[in-house]
Amino acid sequence: MRNVILLTLDATRKDAFGYCGSSKGLTPTFDDLASSSLVFTKAHTTGPYTQASFPGLLTSSHYLDFGVPKGLSPKRTLVSEPLRNAGIVTAAFHSNPYLCGYLGWNRGWDTFYDSMNDDVEPRIPYVRGDQVNRKAIEWLTAHHRERAGKPFFMWLHYMDVHEPYMPERRWIDLVDPSIEISQDEMYTLFTDVLLKRDVSIAENIMLLRKLYDIHVREVDAYFSELMDCLDKLALLAETTIIVTNDHGDEFTEHGGLSHDDKMYSELIDAPLLIYGAGEAGTCEEVVSNADIAPTIIDLFSLPAVDAFQGQNLLAPTRESIESGAFGEAIDQRSEKGGDPARDIYFYREGDLKIIHRPEPESWELYNLATDPREIDNIVSSSPEAERMKGRILPRVRRWQAN
Amino acid sequence: MVHSKQEIEGAVEKSKEVVREAFSKFAVEDMAITWTGGKDSGLALWLIRQVCQEDGQQLPRVMTIDEFDTFNEIHSFMEKYSEEWGFDLDWRRNDDVIQAAGEELNAKVLVEDLNDRNKAELKRIEYDLDAFPFEAESYVGNHLMKTVVFNTYLEEKAVKAVFQGLRRDEQAARIQDTYFEHKEAAHLIPDHIRIKPILHFTERLLWDTYELYGIPYCVLYEQGYRSLGAKTTSAIGETGVPAWEQDLENTEERAGRRQDKEKMMERLRQLGYM
Repeated sequence: MRNVILLTLDATRKDAFGYCGSSKGLTPTFDDLASSSLVFTKAHTTGPYTQASFPGLLTSSHYLDFGVPKGLSPKRTLVSEPLRNAGIVTAAFHSNPYLCGYLGWNRGWDTFYDSMNDDVEPRIPYVRGDQVNRKAIEWLTAHHRERAGKPFFMWLHYMDVHEPYMPERRWIDLVDPSIEISQDEMYTLFTDVLLKRDVSIAENIMLLRKLYDIHVREVDAYFSELMDCLDKLALLAETTIIVTNDHGDEFTEHGGLSHDDKMYSELIDAPLLIYGAGEAGTCEEVVSNADIAPTIIDLFSLPAVDAFQGQNLLAPTRESIESGAFGEAIDQRSEKGGDPARDIYFYREGDLKIIHRPEPESWELYNLATDPREIDNIVSSSPEAERMKGRILPRVRRWQAN
Repeated sequence: MVHSKQEIEGAVEKSKEVVREAFSKFAVEDMAITWTGGKDSGLALWLIRQVCQEDGQQLPRVMTIDEFDTFNEIHSFMEKYSEEWGFDLDWRRNDDVIQAAGEELNAKVLVEDLNDRNKAELKRIEYDLDAFPFEAESYVGNHLMKTVVFNTYLEEKAVKAVFQGLRRDEQAARIQDTYFEHKEAAHLIPDHIRIKPILHFTERLLWDTYELYGIPYCVLYEQGYRSLGAKTTSAIGETGVPAWEQDLENTEERAGRRQDKEKMMERLRQLGYM
């Protein structure tokens, strides 16, 4: 039996990765891994921000299935729970406060590091990836020393790409030493431009994107450090690595910044890859991050978990993968901090993606093959519109009945 | 004292202005003061009382939340000074939860044993397990033992504005806080204003103020506590070293308290939550 590592990257856009089409050269380590992995070219997150997306990632369920509690609903099953019950050693290392133990995400883990007892820099609300790595590498080393051969599942999450976009000088120098900007200036850009969603000055947006890209390069370096450790412990040959994001970030593609309640590609496309299981290549089916947990269960040869809504991505025949991905969210920026009456949904099948808001009612349908930037809404002309609406409406009714 | 007399007096004056502004906006019977027996709410109470004496005002009602898991030293301190300062301290606690826990810390509390209000509150925070451990500083415990008691009190006394001893330097997340904060009504939460007259005080300035004016404080601060919460989750900073003699500038005020929740809340706020 092999080990599985799931690496999730906060707020990291799919198109920032070289293996997903970026020519910026920010992700050499990920690109290298992708060249010998199964890459899913049409994978999606289950929502545009952490709270909407992580239920999909770690519990193979959707955001609005059980109301919108602050903590993890006890009705969801974390992938760590059946694994631990089956004797797999489970360990989590992350620094996202939305996913902390206090809010219930520590269920089923033998080791759970959420960084909440560690200090952070005053303006950055999470510990950096190097600290997450340190904890993970310590654990891997100890596991290897004390329990070598006992299969483990490890989940790692790097926050660093997430705003406030304040990279350290060493990363700026690695990407573009000509950038002259102080930490204070970056923070002002964050508070005055990004937080206010002020898209009026193009230079500001370009600078924000530059800082964002630098963080992507930074995270690649953290991943490289982790890979070196796996290599040194001779774990690479016996470990399956799954990489994806929890959502992306917008840089005015659809009029905004950061990651609000929208369902466009820059937010919900996932750079999903699986290394070390099955053959390398690409899978063109539309799949979801909600498919990851069932895949992990299958990798450990455990019986399928009833609570999981996704499917095994490594099914014996590619044709047996059911195509289609679904996501949902609510408005998180309302004054009350999350307005359940302002819900939004997307569903994708093949090249068609439909986006729906019930209040005020709107429907958008895009053909991603001919209109990848999602500008030309064809909902009133497409013969597929009614069928696509039909896929979303049961979800809307279920939420409204709630 | 690190701060000059002038600096301390200036800060006290600023606080008094906030208190006076509150008195000009609200009738005394519509206001309340929360007092925990700790140094922050203690300073706020002392300041409000000063203004009342100077202006011939009546002191608004004072309430405190008994979390059950409390220090005897705080209890006696509060009894002594409520008597000395001549006001009735309204002790509030969530008796229903305490009973359901058999008056025992860490006991398992069955949700079905709770009254309708507490059940509704659990529903509000979407807690849907059948039981929880009786722990004041846990997620559910914190909500039922503090938040609910606080909201119930506001509701019962029809309080429109409530004084709180919060300081901006306690947490980075409070940097943007204002002296008057409007809390909009929501399910089980009454509409009210939170008044924070000591927002601009740092921990050092606070202790300097205590010294300059001889303001009374709980003896635990002399033993080395810097921040007081529930008894089982508060720890001494430096044993035997009074709070004000510790390295306030380079060590963490709340290092002795369970920080998970506060750190989490601060980080969530920075991430745009709430």
